[in-house]
Amino acid sequence: MDIATLGGQLLGQIPLGDIVLYLTPFNLFMFVGALIFTTLIAISRTETQVEAEFGSLNDNEVKVGLKEFKIRRFLAVVCGLATAGAMITGDVFNFTLLVALIGILNIGIVSAVKQIDVLNAAFQYGLIAMIASLPLFGGAAIILASTGTLSILEIAQLSFTTPMMFFASLLLILGIAGETGIAPFYATKAEMFRTPGSPFIIIIHLSSLLVIVRAIEILLIINKPF
Amino acid sequence: MKLGRLWNSLANPKRIPRVFSIILGVILLTGFLIPMALNDNQLYPRPVPQEQINQGNPLAPYDRGGEVLKEPGIVKSQYPQNEPNLGKITSYLTPIAISVKNSTIYYGTSIYSSPGGLIDEILYYTRGFDTVLESTILIMAFVIASWVALNFTMRREDE
Repeated sequence: MDIATLGGQLLGQIPLGDIVLYLTPFNLFMFVGALIFTTLIAISRTETQVEAEFGSLNDNEVKVGLKEFKIRRFLAVVCGLATAGAMITGDVFNFTLLVALIGILNIGIVSAVKQIDVLNAAFQYGLIAMIASLPLFGGAAIILASTGTLSILEIAQLSFTTPMMFFASLLLILGIAGETGIAPFYATKAEMFRTPGSPFIIIIHLSSLLVIVRAIEILLIINKPF
Repeated sequence: MKLGRLWNSLANPKRIPRVFSIILGVILLTGFLIPMALNDNQLYPRPVPQEQINQGNPLAPYDRGGEVLKEPGIVKSQYPQNEPNLGKITSYLTPIAISVKNSTIYYGTSIYSSPGGLIDEILYYTRGFDTVLESTILIMAFVIASWVALNFTMRREDE
């Protein structure tokens, strides 16, 4: 599939040496959406969870402390920017680097909480994110070896697909599945949300979602199934 | 086994790294069955093996020609039109490297040699954004690790 069928008309390119970003309405929409959500997160305050206390009529408020709030806001904003970058990049290796950055920031956003269950889940997620960097970067490397280029604009112009390119895409999607924690590896991420500090937690969800959408576009461009 | 039990077992975070590793191992093993199809259009043109050594070139086998800031060496890139100065520092050698080069003909294969500014040039000039992102990943990992280390040890407030 060529870029115009998937993302609409090619609006322009931003050349940074061998790394050329390309702009289509599809990319720009997700890029601007990620930026708007990042701005909203940067100016918003966290939620407070209210738990009923056992054996009394009082409520227990689980709040986020100021120091925790600051580091989590910083990491969430960087995560939003990395997501926006992954939406607009036109280079497979840059995309994998940004996905790895998102994976590390997702651990960081929940690393400051005090709930032990959440920390355990974040530890398991960190293990997956580390293991997933092997298929992630390996997939990008095999794409480079089998197509001879990392630029998505150049890959879109190739007229052939080889089994090796399909294998590379398989590795790439496995790496992205591990880094973003989609099914069937969702359990760690689902546990990580059981903590106060809602807008920062939501960016974990949103970044995974947008990265998956963008990864599907890149894999369709590489494999040209239709 | 019922499908519901299978899904339930996947809901335990402790099992997830194992499941992931098994799936990754299976896919990597199937990789051995994939026929290799390499695209070598982008490889740098290289001289015939031993050719530079037989000529007595001290930089063999890494000599790519070129003159610093005047004449580009042999370097390929994806978009040459974006990099008009590509290859111009490929032949750069430090003063120490020049003195070593003049004293021995095995400089290119010695352990302390670097083939000019080649690696730096390819990394920083053609793919500069990659190096920015890589160091961003590192610095974010350090930010998280140092914040956790400081606030869960030294500045810990007991509750």
